[in-house]
Amino acid sequence: MATLLRLWPLKRGLGCPGFIGTLASRAQSTAPEKIEIFVNDKPVKVDPRSTVLQACAEGGVQIPRFCFHERLSIAGNCRMCLVQVEGSPKPVASCAMPVMKGMKIKTDSPDTRKAREGVMEFLLVNHPLDCPICDQGGECDLQDQSMNYGSDRSRFTDMEFAGKRAVEDKNIGPLVKTIMTRCIHCTRCIRFASEVAGVEDLGTTGRGNDMVVGTYVEKLFKSELSGNVIDLCPVGALTSKPYAFTARPWETRKIESVDVMDALGSNIVVSTRGGEVMRVLPRIHEDINEEWISDKTRFAYDGLKRQRLVTPMAKNAQGQLVSTEWEEAFFRIVEKTVSLSGDQIAAIAGGHCDAEALVALKDILNKLGSEALCTEEVFPMDAAGTDLRSNYLMNGRIVGVEEADKLLLIGTNPRYEAPVFNAKIRKSWIHNDLDVAVIGQQPDLTYECEHLGESPKLIQDLVDGKHPYSKVLAGAKKPMIIVGSAMFQRADGAAVHRAVSSLAQTVRAKSGCGEDWRVLNVLHRVASQVAALDLGYKAGVEVIRNNPPKVLFLLGADDNTITRDDLPKDSFIVYIGSHGDNGASMADVVLPGAAYTEKNSTYVNTEGRAQQTRLAVTPPGMAREDWKIIRALSEILGVTLPYDDLNEVRERLEEVSPNLTRYGDVEEANYFKQSEELAKGIKQQLSDQPLTPPQLALKDFYMTDADITSITDNVALRESCHGVGQQ
Amino acid sequence: MASKIVRTGVHQVKPILSLDRTDARRRVLNLYKAWFRQVPHIVFNFDVPITVNQGRQKIREQFLKNRHVTDIRTIDMLVIKGQMELVETVKLWKQKSHIMRYFKETHNPRPSDFLSKFYDGYM
Amino acid sequence: MAALGRLLRTGLTGSLCCGNLVRQASVPFIHHATRLESTETSNKPTVRKPSPVVKSNLMEFGQYIGDCLPKYVQKAQVTHGNELEVMIHPDGIIPVITFLRNHTHAQFLNLTDIAGVDIPTRKYRFEIVYNFLSIAYNARIRVKTYTDELTPIQSIEPIFKGANWYEREVWDMFGVFFANHPDLRRILTDYGFEGHPFRKDFPLTGYVEVRYDDEVKRVVVEPLELAQEFRKFDYSTPWESFPNYREVSEEQVALPQGEAEEKK
Repeated sequence: MATLLRLWPLKRGLGCPGFIGTLASRAQSTAPEKIEIFVNDKPVKVDPRSTVLQACAEGGVQIPRFCFHERLSIAGNCRMCLVQVEGSPKPVASCAMPVMKGMKIKTDSPDTRKAREGVMEFLLVNHPLDCPICDQGGECDLQDQSMNYGSDRSRFTDMEFAGKRAVEDKNIGPLVKTIMTRCIHCTRCIRFASEVAGVEDLGTTGRGNDMVVGTYVEKLFKSELSGNVIDLCPVGALTSKPYAFTARPWETRKIESVDVMDALGSNIVVSTRGGEVMRVLPRIHEDINEEWISDKTRFAYDGLKRQRLVTPMAKNAQGQLVSTEWEEAFFRIVEKTVSLSGDQIAAIAGGHCDAEALVALKDILNKLGSEALCTEEVFPMDAAGTDLRSNYLMNGRIVGVEEADKLLLIGTNPRYEAPVFNAKIRKSWIHNDLDVAVIGQQPDLTYECEHLGESPKLIQDLVDGKHPYSKVLAGAKKPMIIVGSAMFQRADGAAVHRAVSSLAQTVRAKSGCGEDWRVLNVLHRVASQVAALDLGYKAGVEVIRNNPPKVLFLLGADDNTITRDDLPKDSFIVYIGSHGDNGASMADVVLPGAAYTEKNSTYVNTEGRAQQTRLAVTPPGMAREDWKIIRALSEILGVTLPYDDLNEVRERLEEVSPNLTRYGDVEEANYFKQSEELAKGIKQQLSDQPLTPPQLALKDFYMTDADITSITDNVALRESCHGVGQQ
Repeated sequence: MASKIVRTGVHQVKPILSLDRTDARRRVLNLYKAWFRQVPHIVFNFDVPITVNQGRQKIREQFLKNRHVTDIRTIDMLVIKGQMELVETVKLWKQKSHIMRYFKETHNPRPSDFLSKFYDGYM
Repeated sequence: MAALGRLLRTGLTGSLCCGNLVRQASVPFIHHATRLESTETSNKPTVRKPSPVVKSNLMEFGQYIGDCLPKYVQKAQVTHGNELEVMIHPDGIIPVITFLRNHTHAQFLNLTDIAGVDIPTRKYRFEIVYNFLSIAYNARIRVKTYTDELTPIQSIEPIFKGANWYEREVWDMFGVFFANHPDLRRILTDYGFEGHPFRKDFPLTGYVEVRYDDEVKRVVVEPLELAQEFRKFDYSTPWESFPNYREVSEEQVALPQGEAEEKK
């Protein structure tokens, strides 16, 4: 394959002094003295490392741009940001020009306007006039800017009927649709792929009028973050395939919500129209997802319309689930439950449950006299277990990785378990020279990392200082250890946790990073886990397996952690959830719940940050919000829960765990020493089995969260999965 | 003009029709009587499934709905609107459904307890 | 008066002082038709250029009305370059409009329409706007007055028969009562409709919804439930690339406001 032109070498590769200001990391040395410049004769004091464009923004003047993007390197090739600088003979591309002392910038002079108009005219000469059938219409930078800066006359005449420049469309997969004729060669997508996503799939071929953005040979744009190029593309060249021709931005209603596809809680905007989710877009949150979201977050909305539970169902005499009324379904449950004692009732919570439903379920079971409330995900309950929050949180925060200098990943593949977090690690690797080491099977993480081995015993070696890498960790200023929650699912999960937490303590003591720096981090894989543990759920279904209940409530639990075989013959299973999957298929009564776009609810992400999802559309059919189902059931069972509306449930949440209602904040957890002391009591031994993260290939990524994404029905993700599988 | 101006407290306002309370009261009673007398004709002309008594009861109810009103101009405004309604009714500009609108027979009040709201899906 | 006007028709442009008589200001408001292009260059060809001559003529005429009816005219102003507005006290509706209709130099014989504006923050929340056209002078004028929910406004039906329906419309939409109107009743809303839909405190959805009921075989009215989603458009771009620029552009588009000519 001919080498694609790499226009922007990464800082890491060449060790060049870094792009001007824009990508400067958080851990910056002291800011130098500000210099004075003049924006339209108005004096502005700016950082000497900033660009003219940034300086103008500081002076309150927005400069039009296509290629420039705050989170990508500077290309300076669209020329839309031209401004006049006094003393300079030609207009200057402001996005790439560093400021100089006393610079006099004219952003609205006739020359500047003329230059912009010229650039705009050239862009439009090679841009099709297909806005009416273009999906970007209404949110198109080119459209907006041509309204503001373009000429109202066209000089484009096609005397020879040669037509406008046209480029063949590329097939880069089932998620991103390309209409390459619309491309204006801003190269944002290329820079995103190589810098943020870390895949070198995109590039340009040809030059001048023949320049083409593409993959050179036909292949998939194989990235878990590929959907972000849709947002980045300033024109309609890269659009969303599943969203194609379905809605216009001005007719959709935008609801700010939170994603539940992974444990990060990426901030999203849910666009709806007519009671239907049309698409999901990222919302900027600097401490979590910046402005990226993973493909699963972006495209999972397909599954919200398919395989849904829309009516309550109960098994008939033939053992088949048939639709019924709420009253009937509740009656069936009461019939079975009323004569039972508390220890014969149990509940399992799945990965997408909100805190409101979790607390309601806990309250109702407690009132019935049962304590058997479990989560599907296992977490070691020995010693301090889940009593100390610091044991199960990402204590160092997601942004912490931008300050860290040494990162040790244990048995996790953040690329697929938390793609946006992986992008953050990559960002830190590029700009902060973060050193990454991995214990466990090594996946392709899109950045270089030192592979220490696969055995869990290595962790103990590091604690004891037997391994050479322990010296590296000891020399670190801000070390971070991230352990994947998948490792606690192993038989020796408790031992792994003990080893990791003592390693964290050792490293913290040796490296001298101070008491404020958190070393131990747990990366969860499901959105509900932290809230469930905060509320006092038992992690893992061991309790239920040891003491099989007569009546089992499944709150969106679809992972088959408990099957019919684990329970007595006459046991009765109630499933509460939004999608018909494993859980619903083995249930005796199914109660239709709401998916994450259909309720106002609380989720806590892996760093312990409580966030709210918002009701974007109403639940389909007879489905109701989960906590309301439980509340209604409690009344029928005669143990009425003392809350009737959302505020009252939230008051209850606050009673149980105050951090759950402090939205947006991360609650500190700080009992590492105590936890380690307690963990010493754990007698379990580390096994020799290699630490293997469950998702190693892109295919695995698209296949997870089957209950919400309803992968068998989600056309785009399924195709993606097949496509990735074939290549 | 000045003689017509009514003083209500310190605020000087222009009257709509009535100059004082007795005047306003007279107008209200006149309107009430007019409606009252029209009820049998309304019931007959519109062929509505209600009795004359029910109709008069409804008129009484409609008038009593505004019994708390004390401001003379507001009373006048209500009288004017009531008068217009009466004309619309008597001249048969209205139709049967307009008359039946006062009786709200299809209007079921929403339940207020949690469980009924849950079943009905009003949340 | 008419003779006096005719005498002065020759087009005096200055203002002459004349004691306590009606000031014989120029009334050369006819010259309006002479379109004098302004000298300033605008690069937006679609926007009509305001002419300073037209403007000054209008301002003079406004001044003249104010001088003639000092008791009622509170303010006269020229907006959007060439639209004369006269703000009057509600008591002066009949005299001012009679003046505008009958005065030789006005001859606003055509009532274009009557409109209402609801500004709930004001003490007199409703603004009643009368638009007139003078065919003789090819000129338009706008008369504005104010009222609240309970203060009646004098009907101009005796002066302009055409006002009948317009006033019914204002009554129906805003609930402004017109005194001396010969046939004040609803015009647009359904019989039995409660409320005045153009008031700002009237919800966009209304209070009731209407449907045909199969059981009672008739159209029934029920409190609003909105089973179907209310349609709503959002015209802002989801990215809002240049919010600052947007504001500037609006300012540029906005036409220069006519300065208010103070009067009484």
